[in-house]
Amino acid sequence: MNLDFTPDEDAFREEARTWLAEHLPAGPRPPEGDEMRAFDLAWQRTLYDGGWAGINWPVEFGGRGLTDIQQMIWYEEFARAEPPFTLNNSCTFVGNNHGGPTLIVSGSDEQKAFHLPKILRGDVVWCQGFSEPGAGSDLASLSCRAEIDGDELVVNGQKIWTSYAHVADFQELLVRTDPSAPKHKGISWVICDMRTPGIEIREITTMSHVNDFCEVFYDDVRIPLTNVVGQINDGWRTAMSTLSFERGTAFMADQVELAAVVERLIDEARTRTGPDGRRAAIADDEIARRLATARAEVTALRAMTIAGISRVLRTGVPGPEGSMVRLFHGELHQRVYQLALDIIGADALRLTSIDGHGNWTGPYLQSFAYTIGGGTTDIQRNIVGERVLGLPRV
Amino acid sequence: MDLLPTSEQDEIVSTVRAVLADRHQLGEPLGDELWSAAAEQGWFLIGLPESAGGVGYSIIEESLVMRELGTACAPGPFLATVLAAHVAALAGNAELTAAIGAGSHRVALAERLDPERFAVQDLPGASLVLVVDEAGIRVVDAAHVSASAVDSIDELVPVAYTDGAITGEPLAALSGDDAIDVLLDGALLVAAGLAGLAEATVTQSVAYGKDREQFGQPIGAFQAVKHRCADMATRAEIASCQVAYAAITRRDRRDDAAFHVDAARIVATRAAIDNSQINVQNHGGIGFTWEHTAHRFVTRARVWSLRLGSSASHQSSLLARSAAD
Repeated sequence: MNLDFTPDEDAFREEARTWLAEHLPAGPRPPEGDEMRAFDLAWQRTLYDGGWAGINWPVEFGGRGLTDIQQMIWYEEFARAEPPFTLNNSCTFVGNNHGGPTLIVSGSDEQKAFHLPKILRGDVVWCQGFSEPGAGSDLASLSCRAEIDGDELVVNGQKIWTSYAHVADFQELLVRTDPSAPKHKGISWVICDMRTPGIEIREITTMSHVNDFCEVFYDDVRIPLTNVVGQINDGWRTAMSTLSFERGTAFMADQVELAAVVERLIDEARTRTGPDGRRAAIADDEIARRLATARAEVTALRAMTIAGISRVLRTGVPGPEGSMVRLFHGELHQRVYQLALDIIGADALRLTSIDGHGNWTGPYLQSFAYTIGGGTTDIQRNIVGERVLGLPRV
Repeated sequence: MDLLPTSEQDEIVSTVRAVLADRHQLGEPLGDELWSAAAEQGWFLIGLPESAGGVGYSIIEESLVMRELGTACAPGPFLATVLAAHVAALAGNAELTAAIGAGSHRVALAERLDPERFAVQDLPGASLVLVVDEAGIRVVDAAHVSASAVDSIDELVPVAYTDGAITGEPLAALSGDDAIDVLLDGALLVAAGLAGLAEATVTQSVAYGKDREQFGQPIGAFQAVKHRCADMATRAEIASCQVAYAAITRRDRRDDAAFHVDAARIVATRAAIDNSQINVQNHGGIGFTWEHTAHRFVTRARVWSLRLGSSASHQSSLLARSAAD
């Protein structure tokens, strides 16, 4: 057991800090549309040019082949640099953390060669196409149909809750290719070019005033069979490998950032007037207790994340921590922003954007997504209960 | 960077577990056999350096032992005895250190009940008392301590209240930074014991959830029960990870050790108290009976949570500190 960084890791941190100080873009990040897309892709391109894209991707696929420890150091330095945007909100998130890693594990040589460099270079935006109006928590019941016609799939149906579909180039799309098979068996994972005729996208406005949440309609959309990732009708397994990234390192950036947010909030509580209108907010016992608990919890979350990394480095297999990190992090994220609104008093009347240094109300409204997206906390609890604790299914 | 135990540490844990499985029964008082085995195994001196007469491991191994004592819900004055050995060693009393290590003394724990009185845990059968107050931390002969037994919330941890101050020449005493150092290790060991308790309740609830059937299926299949178990497991895991992290910061004498010990104490207290309470609920009627062992975890968690400060005192100190590295 040790907390020491190797000389390589220390050098990596130093290198990252110096580079970030010189290259982090000035904000604010444009809130929507093509300007937002351009901003996010420009940052990805800057990362790529600086050699910081795909830090923990294998070298043979254009990454740096570094460890999750180094990935964590990068996120820590990114948060320390007080960036004007949140990595988790970037429209490059799905490509970097879902689509790309899935292709690395399950894609064909042609798929990897075509897509991976584009993702790393910031040429393209990927979006997800998993949820449907009738298939949310019960994802495997999805009904978006794809029939084989020659060397193409013909897709008809609907997807929903697809962030950034309106600015995306490609989509990781789950479709039902064998309706007669048991529900987990007849699904395929395909790459959908979002410019294919027959696709209609409608934006959905979220409670946090963002319009990047979309629903997507497919009307005889033709996708080449060569775009199937993994085997046809074996998409559930491919999808699960994608989701395991989410429970692994994909949200590490967010956890690291949350620790920085708590420190910022403690500073706010020292300088803002508290509920009694006289003393600083931090002098209020209830606020102080909640802040101390939040500080302890983000600290412990980091310890649990490091325990998870340690296990993967040592055994190659994620341990129980992975599933628990998501569950704990989502709810902690919400508690922190709920506490923030209690601390800032009447300033909580002013709506802010969802990210950016010193903004509280926008992130608070956005925080509701943290216990819903990528599997609700109810589903996360099922996973911990069934896969980690071995409790029976109904 | 590696937060998992080494194979040697894993072996220590298995040995402690085997000794406890052999010589301790949940719900039974401390037996002489367990106490002698603890001394033979070196549990009382495991974290002290060989130069101080210790076994030569660190606070990490010490916390692993304390965690297992928590997991087993073992009663007995283990915490105060281990800390008394720290005090004796740091105060330069080699003879006392060796005697404590040999298991010759059971050490009671006296802490402030109010400005006049002390609450003393495990006084019956104790030959020494570890006294913690504003002056620091000291070891005194139990003959100096006059206290009246009160009914204890945990029948296996006897409690007595003194009428006034504890006087008498100490056998070993620390103040200032030395006292702070031992109390910091003590707070970490309390967190370790609490993390163990939290984990034990997960095991008990999950076993019952698989075994007990209602409506034609194991109750653990129902989300109401399953989700509570998932939350318990998450709290226990969070606590264990932070205790491990904090133990390393103490071993390495890092500047942020006090920060991490505070954090460990806060999450471990929450885990032990919440989990032990929910564990009763998961068991229904049987969990409310004296015969069942679920209540043992509830009261033991309360006892541990009030040793060497409280979660609230650690919240105050954590918030006053500057951010960790």
